[in-house]
Amino acid sequence: MADELDFQRLASLASDEQAPEIEAPARLKSRTYTALIHRQRESGPLLGLTASKRSGRKLCVFEELVEIAPVGSKMESVFFCQVCHARVLAENFEHAPIWWAGCPYVRFQNR
Amino acid sequence: MPPGGLPFLRGTEDAQEAELIQALLRKDRKATEEFISRYGDAVYGYLSRRLFPHTDVVEDCFQQVFLDAWESLPAYRAESGLKPWLLGIARHKVQDHYRAKLRFAQWDDRGPIAAEGEALETWVDRKEMHSKVWKILESLPETYRILLIWRYWEEKSAEEMAGQTGKTLKAVERGLARARDQFRRRWQNEVDNG
Repeated sequence: MADELDFQRLASLASDEQAPEIEAPARLKSRTYTALIHRQRESGPLLGLTASKRSGRKLCVFEELVEIAPVGSKMESVFFCQVCHARVLAENFEHAPIWWAGCPYVRFQNR
Repeated sequence: MPPGGLPFLRGTEDAQEAELIQALLRKDRKATEEFISRYGDAVYGYLSRRLFPHTDVVEDCFQQVFLDAWESLPAYRAESGLKPWLLGIARHKVQDHYRAKLRFAQWDDRGPIAAEGEALETWVDRKEMHSKVWKILESLPETYRILLIWRYWEEKSAEEMAGQTGKTLKAVERGLARARDQFRRRWQNEVDNG
């Protein structure tokens, strides 16, 4: 019984709240993001880029080009990152050499 | 200060979370990015402390937590916030892993277990204390480590552990006694060596 209480006390003294923060690897966050987007697309198209921008979120340079081009809402819902080299680099390298503003894979980098 | 911080700040956080959830449900790709950026480190930290040293399992569970969260999001009720909710999903993944590991695990039933010793000496510095405890846990054989973490950090009762692993209560209690004994010996070494 005393042993039991002793270990309960130890667990509370060394609880997760005392733990140093651990950063998730950037390539894991990148792969998870891609997987999550694919899962979202299974039940219908993604929100268009114009609507995304209107809600105050930043687009990357390539998305900005699509957003201003007269392409229609269907095209705006395409997951352009699928064909972007930033995604490939970010999913495979911990410190991927990518720097574009508004790119999700850049935001996942632990720099 | 009330639990969860100042009411005003919690209110702001709630509003930000509500906005994020709405955007996620609309399948806003930028909100999806924010979702992972904002909560990824907390989920990863929890999983890596519980599933050490299985990096591959940690990574599989991490991805699965976010995919499961997306599937369950329409039913999400903002009772405690997104972070505790995600950690709750992660906790289920950890328990699945523990259950599978312990179900077929055998622990040595021979030989005496040292009688309960004096209270474990502790360190005043919380950070030092934390790092020593986890260093010892990580050095234990996996079965003992899981038994201790599940019982004392995840606060599962021995009865629940027995029920979930198909073992008898007696077997789980014996395993826990051996795990505590191993921990104590290593702890004493740590104390003796400063």
